[in-house]
Amino acid sequence: MGAQGEPPATTASQRVKVYHLNEEGKWDDRGTGQVSVGYLERSEDLALFVIDEDDSETLLAHRIGSDENYQRQEDTIISWRDPEYSTELALSFQEIAGCSFVWEHIRNAGKNMHFSNNSVQESPQSVTEVTEPLETSGMSQANEEAFNCLSTELRELPAVELSTLPAIIKIVAESGITDQMRVAELIIRDQDFFPKLLDLFRMCEDLEDMDALRTIFRLVKGIILLNSPQIFDKIFSDKFIMDIIGTLEYDQEISRVHHRAFLKEHVVFKEAIPIKDPSVLSKIHQTYRIGYIKDVILPRILDESTTVNLNSIIQGNNVAVISLLKDDSNFIKELFARMRSSTASIETKKNLAVFLHEFCSLSKSLPVVNQLRLFRDLMNEGIFDIVADALQSEDRRLVLIGTDILLLFLNQDANLLRSYIIRQEGRPLLGLLVKGMLTDFGEEMHCQFLEILHNLLDWFSAGSQRETIIEIFYEKHLDQLIEVIMLSCPPKGLTTSTTEKSAAGDGHGSQVVIKPEILTNICELLCFCILHHPYRIKCNFLLNNMIGKVLLLVHRREKYLVVAAVRFMRIIICRNASDEQLLSHIVKKNHLKPIVDAFVANGDRYNLLNSAVLDLFEYIRKENIKTLIMYIVDSFWSQLVKFEPFATVSQLKLKYEQFQNKEKIIPEKCINENSRKRYDERALDKEEEDYFNEDSDEEDTASDSSSDVQQENQTSLPATSCHASLRNKVETLGGDERSTAPLTLKRKSNYDEEVLEPTKKQKLDDDLSNRDNVLNTAPESVCNPEAESSKPLIRTLGEKFSEEEAQSKEQRSSDDSPSTSETCQVTDDGSAVAPLNGSDSTSKMIVDEGATTGSCVP
Amino acid sequence: MSDLDRQIEQLKRCEPLKESEVKALCLKAMEILVEESNVQRVDAPVTICGDIHGQFYDMKELFKVGGDCPKTNYLFLGDFVDRGFYSVETFLLLLALKVRYPDRITLIRGNHESRQITQVYGFYDECLRKYGSVNVWRYCTDIFDYLSLSALIENRIFSVHGGLSPAISTLDQIRTIDRKQEVPHDGAMCDLLWSDPEDMVDGWGLSPRGAGFLFGGNVVTSFNHANNLDYICRAHQLVMEGYKWMFNNQIVTVWSAPNYCYRCGNVAAILELDENLNHKFRVFEAAPHESRGAPSKKPAPDYFL
Repeated sequence: MGAQGEPPATTASQRVKVYHLNEEGKWDDRGTGQVSVGYLERSEDLALFVIDEDDSETLLAHRIGSDENYQRQEDTIISWRDPEYSTELALSFQEIAGCSFVWEHIRNAGKNMHFSNNSVQESPQSVTEVTEPLETSGMSQANEEAFNCLSTELRELPAVELSTLPAIIKIVAESGITDQMRVAELIIRDQDFFPKLLDLFRMCEDLEDMDALRTIFRLVKGIILLNSPQIFDKIFSDKFIMDIIGTLEYDQEISRVHHRAFLKEHVVFKEAIPIKDPSVLSKIHQTYRIGYIKDVILPRILDESTTVNLNSIIQGNNVAVISLLKDDSNFIKELFARMRSSTASIETKKNLAVFLHEFCSLSKSLPVVNQLRLFRDLMNEGIFDIVADALQSEDRRLVLIGTDILLLFLNQDANLLRSYIIRQEGRPLLGLLVKGMLTDFGEEMHCQFLEILHNLLDWFSAGSQRETIIEIFYEKHLDQLIEVIMLSCPPKGLTTSTTEKSAAGDGHGSQVVIKPEILTNICELLCFCILHHPYRIKCNFLLNNMIGKVLLLVHRREKYLVVAAVRFMRIIICRNASDEQLLSHIVKKNHLKPIVDAFVANGDRYNLLNSAVLDLFEYIRKENIKTLIMYIVDSFWSQLVKFEPFATVSQLKLKYEQFQNKEKIIPEKCINENSRKRYDERALDKEEEDYFNEDSDEEDTASDSSSDVQQENQTSLPATSCHASLRNKVETLGGDERSTAPLTLKRKSNYDEEVLEPTKKQKLDDDLSNRDNVLNTAPESVCNPEAESSKPLIRTLGEKFSEEEAQSKEQRSSDDSPSTSETCQVTDDGSAVAPLNGSDSTSKMIVDEGATTGSCVP
Repeated sequence: MSDLDRQIEQLKRCEPLKESEVKALCLKAMEILVEESNVQRVDAPVTICGDIHGQFYDMKELFKVGGDCPKTNYLFLGDFVDRGFYSVETFLLLLALKVRYPDRITLIRGNHESRQITQVYGFYDECLRKYGSVNVWRYCTDIFDYLSLSALIENRIFSVHGGLSPAISTLDQIRTIDRKQEVPHDGAMCDLLWSDPEDMVDGWGLSPRGAGFLFGGNVVTSFNHANNLDYICRAHQLVMEGYKWMFNNQIVTVWSAPNYCYRCGNVAAILELDENLNHKFRVFEAAPHESRGAPSKKPAPDYFL
C-alpha cells in the first residue's frame, strides 16, 4: 500500500465507517477504520485508503476519479458510485473536520489539482464547501433516488450542434430555479458537452460566423449564470478557460474586446521566486483569469449570487496558494535571502517587494489564526528590516509598498510592529516613519505615514509596548515635527500690527519650502496626540513652548493651515478646560493673540476662519472658562469691539462684566479660597515648575515680541501677572485637591461658579440655555478623555468618538430599529413603498433615506 | 487646454482621475472652500439639485436637462456619493467644476459626505476597488469637512441638505459652527444635515433616522418668519415625483437621483429659479443604459499570485 499521506492531526478525525449498498438497497456496514489520502503505488493518482482499526487490513482502497459522482451529505458523509466495487460506497466520518479534509481532496482531484497533503491539512476549515441543494437525512435509498432521478421532464440535453444551440439556450436561460439545478446536472454529466461546444466555437471562429458566435456567447453566459460550482470547476480548468473567455468576446451588445489577446500578450505573470509546483502555478493563473472574467468581462451581467460564488473560488485558490507557499520553508527562506542579497538588482528587489506585498495582502483570505501565525513568521524572518530598507529607497513605488505592508500588519495586529519597534534594532523604523511623514514625495503618499503613526500611537490598545513607543516618540520625534513647522513659518518679529502680520505671511511664508499638506498632517498628528495622550503631551506645552511654535501656522498664507492652528488651540482648551495650570500658561504666553490677530485681520469675511474662531470663543463662554474670558476681554477688547454685533463676542463681554461685578460685591470670599490648590493629575516637579514660571524663556522664540506687548497689557491685570510669583508659595501649602479653582482667581469671589465641577457647570448652562447648549455639545464631546473604547471599524481610521456619543448612538439605534418599516411613510407620500419592499436588499437600502439604523447613525 | 479642463473632460467621460490628480484637485478645492461661509450666499438665477448618490450617468441627464456648468449656475444640496456605482467620478466632476468655476457652482454638504457613512454605503469600497488604496477616499472625506452647510439665495430662499435644528432659530447662529469636522452625532451641524419635515409632527419630534429631528409646519413658519424667508429648499428624502411641497409651500424637497439605487422607479427633478425667483421644476428620468450593473474594472497589468 502506497499511502504516503500523513494522517490528519488527530486520529479521531480520521475515524470512519465504510458502507456498501447491497442489492436490496440497504447499506451494509463493512467495518470501522482510519482513513487517509495518498498516492497509489507507482501512480500519480490520489486515492482514499481505509485501514481497519481492528486488524489493520485494508478496508478500502479507492482511486479518486473525476468521473465518480461524489456526494457530500450532512457534514460527515461522503458517498459515490464505485466502478471497481460496482456499487454505491459511503464513508461516514466521526468528525466534520475529517470529512471536510477528505472532501477537499476529492474536489481538488476532480480538478486535476494534486496537492501535497500537508498543505491541505492546514485549511480544512476554510474549504468552500459545495452546498448541495438536497436535503439529506441519513443514507437512505430514498436519498439516493433524489440524487439520481434528477428530472421527470428533462432527461437529457440535445446533443451540442449548431442547429441545437437555440434549443439549449432556451433550456438553459428559461429554466426556473429548480430546473436550473437539473440543467446544471445534465451539463456536468455530459462529458462531451464542453469539448463539443468549444470545438464548435473554434470552428465558427474560423468561419467568422458571427451569428453563431453570438449564439454561443449567449449560451455560455446562460451557463455561467446557472451558478453551478461543478460547472465552474469544469469551465475554469486549464483545458477550457481560455476558450471560454474566447466565447465571451462575442457579446452582441458591446463591441468586441480581444480578451484572449490581452491575457496572452499584455498581462505579465511575474515570478519573483520561481514556483515549482505546477498545481500552484495553475491555480495562480486560474485566479487571475476568474478575476478577469468577473471584473472585466462580465461585471454588468453577473448577478450577486454568481459573483459571490466566483469570489469564493478566488478566495479558496488564494488560501491554497498561500498555504502551500508559506509551508514551503525553502521558498520563504529563498525569498528573504534574495531580498537581503547585495547583488540583486534594484528591479529584482522591487519585484520581490511587490511579491511580498501581494503575499501579505492575499493572506487576508486565510483564517485569522493562520494569518497571524504567518505574519509572526514573516516578522521573525525579518520582514520589518526589509520594509525599513524599502522606506529608504529612492524609488517611490518601493516606499509605497513598504508602507502598505506595514498597514497590513497594523490592521492585523498592531502589537507585532510595536514589539519590533521597541527593540533596539527596530527603533530606526519609527524614525523612518516620522521622516516619511515629513518628506515631500511629490504627489503620492499623502497620508500613509500619518495613518501608520496613528495606529502605533493610539490609545485603544493598552500595554507596555504602546507606552514604550509613545515614550520614544515623545523623546525623539516630537521635536522634529515642531521643528518643521518652525522652519516653514515666517519668523517672528515681522509683526507689529495685525494687518502687516498677515501680509508678512504672504511674503515670507517659506524659507524652507514645506508642502502645506505636510503641515496639515503634522497639525493633525499633534491634535491626535492631545486627544490620546493629554498628560504626556502637556509637559511639552509647558516646557518647550510647543503651543507657541505650532501657532506659527497662523502666519501661513494657506487659510486652511490657519484654521488648522485654531482647531489645534481649540482642542487643547477643550482637553484642559479645567486645568488652571495650562490655562494660565496660555494666558502668560499670550497664546490667543495670534488667533485673535488672524480673526481681526480676516475682518468681515464670513469664512471658515471666522466661524472657527467664533466657535472657539463660544466654547470658552459656554464652558465658563473664567481665566480665558478675563484674559480675552482684558487683552483684546480694543480689537474685538468692532465685532460686538456678533452675539458670541458681545456675550463674552457680558460674561466678563458679570465676573467683574461679582468680584466687587464679595471680595472677601476668595480669601478662603487662597488655601485651595489644584494638583494636576501629573504635576510637574518643582524644577520644571520653576523653569516654566520664569519670565524670560529662551525657548520662547515665537511669542517674545508679542509677550512684551502682553506684559504691558497685563500690568492692569493683577490676577494674571501675580500668578507666577505667588504660585510657588502656594504649591508648598498643599491643600484641597478637589478644588478646581486656580490660585489667581482665589481673590475673586464668584465662589459658586468656580468650584462647581465641570459637569455641574454644564448642567447649569443647560438650564440657562438649553438651545445654545445643543450647539456646543459636539465639539465638546470630541475631547472626552474616556472616549473610543472599542470600535474596530472606526479605530482603524483614526476617527474620534466619545463614549457618550457611542452610547447615545446605541441608544438610538436600538430605539429605531423597529421603526424601519415605517420609514417609507416618512419618506414620501407612500407611493415609494411598493417598489421598495420588493426585495430584502431594497428595503435595507431605503433604511438610510427614510431612517438610519444601527451602523449608519452619524 | 489647461490640466483642469482636460480633467473635466475626462471626468465627463466617467473616467476617474489618477490618485495624484485627485490629491492636487482636493488641495485646490480646499483653498476655495475654506473661504466659503456656513451659509453661503448664492445669486439667482440658479438651478437647485438634490441627492445624486453616485449615479453618474443620471447626473449627465441632469446636466442635459438643466444646461451645462458654467452656463447654468448650480447649487447642489449634498449626497453626491454612496449607493450608485460612480461616486468617485460623480464627486470629482462636481469638485473639478467647483475649482474651475467657483462662482457658478455651489456644493453644500449632505449627511453622506461623512467618513462614517461612506464606509457603510459604498464610497469607501468604491475608492478601494478603483484605486487599490483608500487614499482617494481620504482626500475626498477631508474635503467633505470643508463643504459649506447651507446656502441662502437672494436672502429669500434657505437651502440645506436635511432641515432645521432646534438649536438654530436664526441664520446668524449657523455662523458660530466650526464646520471643519466629521459630521457630529448631534447638535446644530448634525441636524442641518439629517432632519426631515414631517406632517404628523407638531414642533419637534424624534427622527427615526437616529440623527437630526422631525419638524412640523409651525417650526418652518416661525423660522421663515424670523429670517424673512420665502421658503426652504432641501433634499435628503426620496420623493417619487422628484419634488414635493409641504406645509403650504413653505418648504420643498428636491430629489435628483432618478430610479434611485437603480431600482426605485422614481423620477428626479431640479428646481430652476430665474432672476426674479420664479420657480420651475424640471423633471427627468434615468439614463437608459446605466441600470444594468457595475462598470468593468481595468485589469491589473501584471500579477505575482
